[in-house]
Amino acid sequence: MSGSACHRRAYLGAGLVLAVFGLLALVGAGELLAQDASQIRRYGDFPIIGARGAIWITAQVHLMFAAFVLGVPMFAIVVEAIGIFGGDKRYDKLAKEFTRLLLIAYSATAIWGAMLTFALSSLYPVFWAYLTTIFGPSMWLYAALFIVESFTLYLYYYGWDRWSAGKAKYGHWGLGILLNVWGTIVMFIANGWLTYMMSPPAEVAADTAPDQVQLWSAIFNATWMPINIHRILANVVFGGAIVGMYAAYRFLAAKTDEERAHYDWMGYIGNFIAIGALIVLPFAGYYLGREIYEFNQQMGITMMGGFMSWLWIIQAFLIGVLFLAGNYYLWIGMGRIPGAERFTPYVKYMLIVLVAGVIVWATPHTIIASRDEIAAMGGTHHPFLGALGVMSAKNTAVNLMILTTFLSFMLYRRANKIPVVSWARSGTIAQGAALAIAAVVVTFYGVYGYFVTAIVRIGFSVYQVLAVLAAMLLVVVLDVMMLRGAQSRGEIRWGQMPARSQYALFVLAVTFTWLMGLMGFARSGIRQHWHVYEVIRDASVQAATPALGPAATMISVCVLIFLSLVAIIFWLGGLAEKPAHKDTADLVIAVPSPAQAGGEA
Amino acid sequence: MWRTNLAVAFVVLGTLGVYTAVANMIPQVQSDVPEELVLSADVTPEELVAAGEILFAGSGGGCTACHGLGTRAPDLLGSIGSTCETRESGKSCKDYLYEALVEPGAYVVEGFQAIMPDMSRTLSDAQIWSLVAFLESQGGEVTVTGADLAASDDGPPAMAPTDPVTNGDVAPADIDAAALLQSLGCAACHAYGAAPGGVGPAISAMAGLDLDYLRRSIIDPAADTATGFEALAGTMPLTFGEQLTDAELEALVTYLAGGAE
Repeated sequence: MSGSACHRRAYLGAGLVLAVFGLLALVGAGELLAQDASQIRRYGDFPIIGARGAIWITAQVHLMFAAFVLGVPMFAIVVEAIGIFGGDKRYDKLAKEFTRLLLIAYSATAIWGAMLTFALSSLYPVFWAYLTTIFGPSMWLYAALFIVESFTLYLYYYGWDRWSAGKAKYGHWGLGILLNVWGTIVMFIANGWLTYMMSPPAEVAADTAPDQVQLWSAIFNATWMPINIHRILANVVFGGAIVGMYAAYRFLAAKTDEERAHYDWMGYIGNFIAIGALIVLPFAGYYLGREIYEFNQQMGITMMGGFMSWLWIIQAFLIGVLFLAGNYYLWIGMGRIPGAERFTPYVKYMLIVLVAGVIVWATPHTIIASRDEIAAMGGTHHPFLGALGVMSAKNTAVNLMILTTFLSFMLYRRANKIPVVSWARSGTIAQGAALAIAAVVVTFYGVYGYFVTAIVRIGFSVYQVLAVLAAMLLVVVLDVMMLRGAQSRGEIRWGQMPARSQYALFVLAVTFTWLMGLMGFARSGIRQHWHVYEVIRDASVQAATPALGPAATMISVCVLIFLSLVAIIFWLGGLAEKPAHKDTADLVIAVPSPAQAGGEA
Repeated sequence: MWRTNLAVAFVVLGTLGVYTAVANMIPQVQSDVPEELVLSADVTPEELVAAGEILFAGSGGGCTACHGLGTRAPDLLGSIGSTCETRESGKSCKDYLYEALVEPGAYVVEGFQAIMPDMSRTLSDAQIWSLVAFLESQGGEVTVTGADLAASDDGPPAMAPTDPVTNGDVAPADIDAAALLQSLGCAACHAYGAAPGGVGPAISAMAGLDLDYLRRSIIDPAADTATGFEALAGTMPLTFGEQLTDAELEALVTYLAGGAE
């Protein structure tokens, strides 16, 4: 076993033990509630940043690592499967490289999870006792699954080379699937705790004793499944973006063309996965938003039209950056694909659609305006721009942006290929028609939405989404069929990318991370001054929900901590790759394997 | 290598800096915790209305997030006090409004959806009664009394809230209209002194206007709209008719017609 492997196991083991012991010890906090709550201080304090600041940072950084370690295995198994079924060893190597990053990140996740648990139990002891009384059994299950997941990860990574061929390889892939299953269940359990705080069951009131709350009813609350789905997709996006950032750094630091080519390709895969999942993420977000309105209209209105209304303008700005940076990376990438130059004239039109879409999406409408703002606008809504800020315009904009990004991907994919099937021309026309029809349907319902009532207009967004999804599905199916046995216009010149393209990957990763922090604030902030919405009031001195400015500063601090730690992880990953100097390398090679040693004895 | 590291650090920190700066540049709205309302058994209707008005405006939008836009929920300001008695047959205005707050699904106004939450989950009984009183004051007579609070489960702890307006028996000539204008917050929308205004006509532009017109504009702002401010119609609060005594109203009207001098 190499020294670096020993260290990794030590990190992982330490984090695991810390997290599990922390959790198990604190499950006992439920006993506190059974004792005399009046003798326990309700809130603790934390130096400088206060109790809430401490919880905010530990929870957010833990969630960022958790998203990474849940997202990476998802596409690790997809990439491994491509390697297995496609017979391309590059994919297998890539999947293993992803998993190596995962191994170190996993211990960081556990350590931050333990810190969060300690922070909760010491800074919010009574509320923590309340939660553990309700969710105690699920916390034990969480801890048990965490251990099982950890050992599955050990097996998955350390068994990679041993089970690399034949039936054993399928078994190894099965381990990867199991790893995802455990990780997803762990996430679902934790989501039950946090969504209970947001949308407790209707039968739970302020005077309901926690031991009277049914566990399954508490977990299966109104926003549990929407959050589960949203987080699965968001984790894939996030994992892809972080891997893309890792590849970008390695590309910039590469010494050889071979290295540069490998990391260019890895960056492309990371970006492809991140943007691919991002395209469907708004639909999951829409489902979550709808369920929040279904649960409590007031909460929905607070979120979209109340004190949080400006948050969505910032979100639109961030998503605009994501779409623009993602497409920019693709368009630059076309420079290394023979034949892609024939699509270059279309880039400017796609850019116009994207920029216009971002502008419309970021137009404020239903926000709380001050008297000065009302005076400046000449009314509660802007006389001209107000019309662009309504849901009809925004839905139209985002759907057209999604279609445009999808088109960028398809052009990238098609760039160096010549279809040889007899129906290639009519197939291409059908693809174009499908996209055009989807754009017309989206625009039609966008305009029509101005002439109907709000409830009818909301229903139109479903037609818009369905039109876009149907078009994308049809185009992909046709493309796969059409490009079977296609001729090549030339190999992609991996590695021949300008450095600025790699910085776009950094912007993507930073933006995804920041956006995750912003959405965390939105989800948590809509509870306002409630620990559990309308059930347990936050009576601490920091109960007021901060405005977006201070929240943004906290989010940036969290992102900076996370990215700094990720940089250390990348550095550790680099250390593990090669021996310190030649002598050590010679030594490693000179040591006989146990089998050889035994044979000689 | 260091150059690459510096460039990466610059891109990362620059991106974070831009996002943080943008979020700090936009209007900052904090969601404050509603203050606990403590009212005595001999609370006056004016005190209840004042407390209810604060709750209605609420932090981060309060009731106006839905009841101010006209499409989500009925507009209540200025009219609900006069229409509440006709909503449900056999129910007094007070009973109807109380029911609408604690059991909102019992009656839903035609043309709207049942989106109103049960306010008893988030408000104390004293807060609910003060909201009822405020809503009654919107075009109707306030009938909520301390007895209603006393009858509720959580009872009325001892303590009086804010100072009510105390110009009841004073003659118009003895009222400081300039101070009254300031205390009512007129300068928030109407240009007055150093206040820029812009939402409504300047105070100085009211000099010489017909007294009846001015009186009507204060107690029923929807009746007339000043030229050039059509887009802002509906912004003026509808509560001054209830808020002001007759003497105060007359003092204010005279002051405005006289050029606010």
